Amino acid sequence: MDALSWDGTLTSRDFLVSARAFAEKWKEFNSAFPPWTWVPCPPKQPPCHLPQLLQQGYLSLEKICLPGSSKKGHVTSQEDVDEISLTEGEEEFEPVDNATLVETNNSLQVCYYDFHIVYSDSYRVPVLYFRGYYIDGQPLALDEIEKDLPACSAKVLLESKWTFITQEEHPYLNRPWYKLHPCGTSEWMKLLFLSDDSRAKIGVAVEQYLVSWLSVVGQVVGIRIPFEMLNNPKSCN
Amino acid sequence: MEGSSGKSILQFAPFQSSVDEGFWHRLSSLKLNKFGIDDSPIPITGFYAPCSHSQVSNHLTLLAESLPSDSSEESEVPEISRGNRNRCSVPGILYNTNTVERFHGLDKQGLLKAEAQKIWEDIHNGRALEDSSVLSRFLLISFADLKKWSFHYWFAFPALVLDPPATLVNLRPASQCFSLEEAESLSAAFNEWRNSSLTADVPFFLVQIDTNSHAAIKHLKDWETCQSADGHKLLFGFYDPCHLPNNPGWPLRNFLALICSRWDIKSVHFLCYRENRGFADLGLSLVGEALITVPQGWRDHPYVPNAVGWELNKGRKIPRGISLAKSMDPTRLAISAADLNLKLMRWRALPSLNLNSLSSLKCLLLGAGTLGCQVARTLMAWGVRRITLVDNGRVAMSNPLRQSLYTLDDCLNGGELKATAAVNSLKRIFPAVEAKGVVMAIPMPGHPVPSQEEQTVLDDCRSLHDLIDSHDVVFLLTDTRESRWLPSLLCANTNKITITAALGFDSFLVMRHGAGPFSSSHDSKAEAANSLSADMSNLGLTDRDGGKRLGCYFCNDVVAPIDSTSNRTLDQQCTVTRPGLAPIASALAVELLVGILHHPHGIFAEGDVLNSSNSESSEQPLGILPHQIRGSLAQFSQMTLVGHSSDSCTACCSTVVSEYRKKGMEFILQAINHPTYLEDLTGLTELMKSASSFELDWDDGTDEDDDDCVEV
Repeated sequence: MDALSWDGTLTSRDFLVSARAFAEKWKEFNSAFPPWTWVPCPPKQPPCHLPQLLQQGYLSLEKICLPGSSKKGHVTSQEDVDEISLTEGEEEFEPVDNATLVETNNSLQVCYYDFHIVYSDSYRVPVLYFRGYYIDGQPLALDEIEKDLPACSAKVLLESKWTFITQEEHPYLNRPWYKLHPCGTSEWMKLLFLSDDSRAKIGVAVEQYLVSWLSVVGQVVGIRIPFEMLNNPKSCN
Repeated sequence: MEGSSGKSILQFAPFQSSVDEGFWHRLSSLKLNKFGIDDSPIPITGFYAPCSHSQVSNHLTLLAESLPSDSSEESEVPEISRGNRNRCSVPGILYNTNTVERFHGLDKQGLLKAEAQKIWEDIHNGRALEDSSVLSRFLLISFADLKKWSFHYWFAFPALVLDPPATLVNLRPASQCFSLEEAESLSAAFNEWRNSSLTADVPFFLVQIDTNSHAAIKHLKDWETCQSADGHKLLFGFYDPCHLPNNPGWPLRNFLALICSRWDIKSVHFLCYRENRGFADLGLSLVGEALITVPQGWRDHPYVPNAVGWELNKGRKIPRGISLAKSMDPTRLAISAADLNLKLMRWRALPSLNLNSLSSLKCLLLGAGTLGCQVARTLMAWGVRRITLVDNGRVAMSNPLRQSLYTLDDCLNGGELKATAAVNSLKRIFPAVEAKGVVMAIPMPGHPVPSQEEQTVLDDCRSLHDLIDSHDVVFLLTDTRESRWLPSLLCANTNKITITAALGFDSFLVMRHGAGPFSSSHDSKAEAANSLSADMSNLGLTDRDGGKRLGCYFCNDVVAPIDSTSNRTLDQQCTVTRPGLAPIASALAVELLVGILHHPHGIFAEGDVLNSSNSESSEQPLGILPHQIRGSLAQFSQMTLVGHSSDSCTACCSTVVSEYRKKGMEFILQAINHPTYLEDLTGLTELMKSASSFELDWDDGTDEDDDDCVEV
């Protein structure tokens, strides 16, 4: 692809190629981290009008403990939970068992994050979906997540017209997830590729797309890309 | 304890639960679409993996796929696949009650005992050797409050109690228990076990280390063959979810029960398998030795040992609760979606957009017809949340096609009141809207009232006065000219932002009224940012009716409002406009309002004309702020005009407003009952007399006479 005439978008086929390449590279340079896995999804409608439907799905990185995302004292937003069950006295129905360890409450309160990279057909770019939750499964609200985000990301979110978090239904899970809105993605991806002289010369390597993309998007949510991944574009063929 | 050898009681760290949001989503959907009030127990699947963090234990996790699939559910959640190393399935059972009382009334001890009995039987009939995951069988009780999207739940991980309890001989990190060669071989064997889809999710196993330091992992069912070889070390291994350095995790309890009751072993060497970054971590894993005294009665089959295992909630024996209203309540989802949409507009295009001023704005819509319906919808789209609609009509059969808030249902049985139907419709569109409907007729000049109805009319006048007083913005959207007169006067008196939209057959007028004659921009908060031009306009304003003040709907008229519906043919009285007209005019009316709200001078802002280069408004983010917009569908054209207030205006001139202030309701009654009273008062009568004597041509082409408009 010629970098100058390129509009910064990807086809769904390119996304698939790029996703595979990205997952491979991640494993290679970031083996200490859990791997990104490809989650295939059956197409929503039977493929009647499209000739050969591409495999649909998304890249997934789950149960990630972001640095500094541990909370002091689990302040569950339980304002809506009927207090009946919580205020009722303790029930004594079990014999005392001295083989059960009674844990002193000093265990770390951890928050986990799930990240999905989903292809957007309307914007023709990858979109980052994410959510956070306490270890017992209670989801984190957006303001709680924002406290977890790296300090620089708050700045990025404030200043950039192109990066903001919205809540939307996950296209495959049909539950509300947070996402970084993709409306500016193609523009800054184009800039990113054009500003790199060497890359502008050799053309746009589809394989490298997600690596570059996540190097920007990841800053917002605290996912770091090992430098070697960026620095090592595979020769494009 | 650090490798201590004292004979203390072996204590197990309880299993902990984690429930993914997806589980509750699917449970809700199943409950609604499939189970109904059937509350029989449901088999579910939990997932766990060895501990993989030196400070955090792994939890038994429930996911959407823990529940049977709901065929009517749209989402395509992949079904449980065996062999996932991070998702060892564990069978469980769910008792979901229909009421919170039943939830609290469940026989917890009995339910736990029933599950413990299943484990006990699986140990005795050998099933636990074939599928060792049944040793960690669990129980969940829950109550799903689907109206509030809150869930009460309580997990139990039944453990068969050894009585007397097992004692600990020693417990050390596994790395200290093996030679270098053994450790190497063991790690390799573990990694192979964990990477094969056949064994990755088999949580209980035998670890055999032969005299050559060669380690092998075997299935429990191979126990007999492991026995035959001499000089072998044999350890009972399991995936340990616990991270603690001095305690094994909960799954070991039922494993010990199996070991002692099936194989009659008194001294058990166990291995708590834990990992780090996907590989066996022998520093984190533990090796220990426990002494078991086989409890009395364990050999008799009908006997079932005691069981414990209800999960504590922060150390207390109480259930847990979770609220998912934020992600399940459609109202909250609609609100956050609408807010994000508007924020998006602010972020992308209009950084100065003041969303708070819009959401707190109180809008009064007089008329809930074609214009009222469309204005209300567009206001909501802009984030306006407080809307009051005034109308005294009912929804007629012909209305729904043009009046976008109504459907045929509203027309049945004589027709619903428009004020009521419109409010219901707005709430259906956006549940968070604070909409009110007021059924009221607007008193009109030239429509004389019999004395016995006077009181009603006066009451209406006062209600209208109070309504206008309690709102920030008034839209005049009624279907006659004269019905706009009283509200125009009241708005001029209280200096409210007022917007008028009126329709002809294929032309429309949308305008904002100027400030009232006695208003001073000094007390307006819009003046906080003072500027030279603002001072200039103030000068103009203090000079009463000095021509600077923008006009109202009646300022260009040379006739006072009279009864416009009498003596007209049917097509002149009814809605005979091109259907596209009302949506266009309504949309412009709302956009005009948003322009006023974002203009630094607000209601005092001068009227801009298209292409006027000297206007500071052209630099406003929302563009120019016209006074009047007139459009014609016949020409597909639209123009912006400025008309200043007239000191003979029947609605907003200082004579009329001060007369109203002096006489109040008495003045209004006179205006209503005497057709020429207003014209006499304002000098229009004089004006018309002199005008006709000069035979002036009033039709100047651009300023079309409103009388040509059949209003809607």
